[in-house]
Amino acid sequence: MVRVESLAKTYQGRRGSPPVKAVDGVSFQVPPGQLLGLLGPNGAGKTTTVKMMCGLIRPDAGQILINGTDMVRRRNQALAHVSAVLEGNRNIYWRLSCRENLEFFAGLKGRSPRDVRSEIDYYLELFKLTEKVNTEARQLSRGMQQKLAIAVALISQSEVLLLDEPTLGLDVQASFEIRELLKRMVEEQGRTIILTTHDMNVVQDTCKRVIIINQGRIVADDSVHNLLDLFKVKVYRIVIDGKLTPGQREALENLPEVLLEEENPHETVISVRLEESQVLYQVFGILGAENTVIHSIDQEQNNFERVFLEILERGDQSA
Amino acid sequence: MPKKLTLFRAFFRRQLAYFRRYFANSLGGMLTLYVVFLLILGGYRGLSGPSGLQGDTTEALVVGYGLWFFMLMTYQDVSYTIRTEALTGTLEQLYMSIHSFGWVMGASVSAAFMANFVMWAVLLGVAMFTTGTALNIDLLSVLPVLIGTLLGPLGIGFIIGGLTLVFKRIESYTQMVQFVLIGLVAVPAERVVWMRLLPGSFGAGLVRDIMVRGASLAEIGAGNLALLFAIGVGHLLLGYAVYKQCERAAMSRGLLGHY
Repeated sequence: MVRVESLAKTYQGRRGSPPVKAVDGVSFQVPPGQLLGLLGPNGAGKTTTVKMMCGLIRPDAGQILINGTDMVRRRNQALAHVSAVLEGNRNIYWRLSCRENLEFFAGLKGRSPRDVRSEIDYYLELFKLTEKVNTEARQLSRGMQQKLAIAVALISQSEVLLLDEPTLGLDVQASFEIRELLKRMVEEQGRTIILTTHDMNVVQDTCKRVIIINQGRIVADDSVHNLLDLFKVKVYRIVIDGKLTPGQREALENLPEVLLEEENPHETVISVRLEESQVLYQVFGILGAENTVIHSIDQEQNNFERVFLEILERGDQSA
Repeated sequence: MPKKLTLFRAFFRRQLAYFRRYFANSLGGMLTLYVVFLLILGGYRGLSGPSGLQGDTTEALVVGYGLWFFMLMTYQDVSYTIRTEALTGTLEQLYMSIHSFGWVMGASVSAAFMANFVMWAVLLGVAMFTTGTALNIDLLSVLPVLIGTLLGPLGIGFIIGGLTLVFKRIESYTQMVQFVLIGLVAVPAERVVWMRLLPGSFGAGLVRDIMVRGASLAEIGAGNLALLFAIGVGHLLLGYAVYKQCERAAMSRGLLGHY
């Protein structure tokens, strides 16, 4: 169980610049066996929050309890329950082999090579690194290095795993493999995983719950499913042959729910955000008046990227 | 196995892996040091005129050079390690150990000491062969004095490592320390009492007493040995205290893993 209460951190400005409030009263709890996504735009305070949870940045106020142990007051004891991959493939020693890396980092967490021998074999197999057991990390692909970094974090047997951008810079295949592995770690081993990411596919695919941070504050904390439901909108994309007439364009631009996405001599794409059916009839009326040929009509699927942007936009408006 | 022992073992195994894998590179580094030694020796002989180096002057030069090498390596084992770990992205992982960073660095330095000791022994052996000198290799006497001597450079290493955490790119200043170390080895701490308080200087004199003049640990005396360790521990604690202050500042500003 991870409990974060009223966490705050302000970085003092340098050379006369004003202080920056990176984290401002953040509170949340993560029960065991949950995969939580911590989202937010650049500079929102995600990494500062994660690093405070690892005991690497001292908070100005608030409390972090990892399995009941205070990270600030009893740092070393709390760290027995936490592992992290903060710098991706840079969190391992590139001049050590896969096995040597796993043994070394297990030792840092108090586990001897003899104790972890079978686990090393298990993780190497799980992460498809068995053939690379004696290969130096610098000779691995970026995806393999990333997997090794995660295996290194797992070998410590910490219940809580913190991952900062675990799929950053990876190709589609490697990203997919890591997402699958994370899901397995939660389902099979009951680990608690908190990850930060900008990749909404990762969130939608792996996370049960998300917390969205903006300007140091939590602006949303709910399940991915609920947030998708909450921000459910119907969007239709209408493709017509050729260009609109000036009259059609003017009429469509007067409808706030309509967006002209693309217009060229061959086709025009009109996006209609449907909050009431009447709008769609109006659009069809405008197009039908000039006998415009409709090429296709598609309904867009709601995705988490749209939800994320919507939440941030609403937050900005209320601020 | 006790967890502290596991920590030390992890660093020893890592050091051994590096030593084995980069043996040729280590050999190249030693060759460079040997060439530098030859240049110093040649220059010294040239400067001292037709009479050349006589008596125990050559032996003192060999011991002094070896000691400077050991002090430099020990200093770098802390300062350079902290800089490199920050640069490569592993410093934060070391900080996430279940042991305090003092213990982590203790394990790292102990492991590096073994490698440095082997290189020091080889360098001394080759230098003795080249110059035709015979040094008193009384390990039981030399080893404790050597360890006491190296505590000072360790303290300097922590200070520079701490400053690196906060100010980052300060290599041009940290490189000056290697010249400072030459001075610390060379000062006449045997004759000028206050100089004994300088990091490594008192110990350097005692090492010369053992290896050049053939003194034993008994002749060095318990009082001198105690004084050596008192001064060394003082330097180490001072260096570590500065490091902890810098660490606190770096953690407060969120700079720990940056470089």
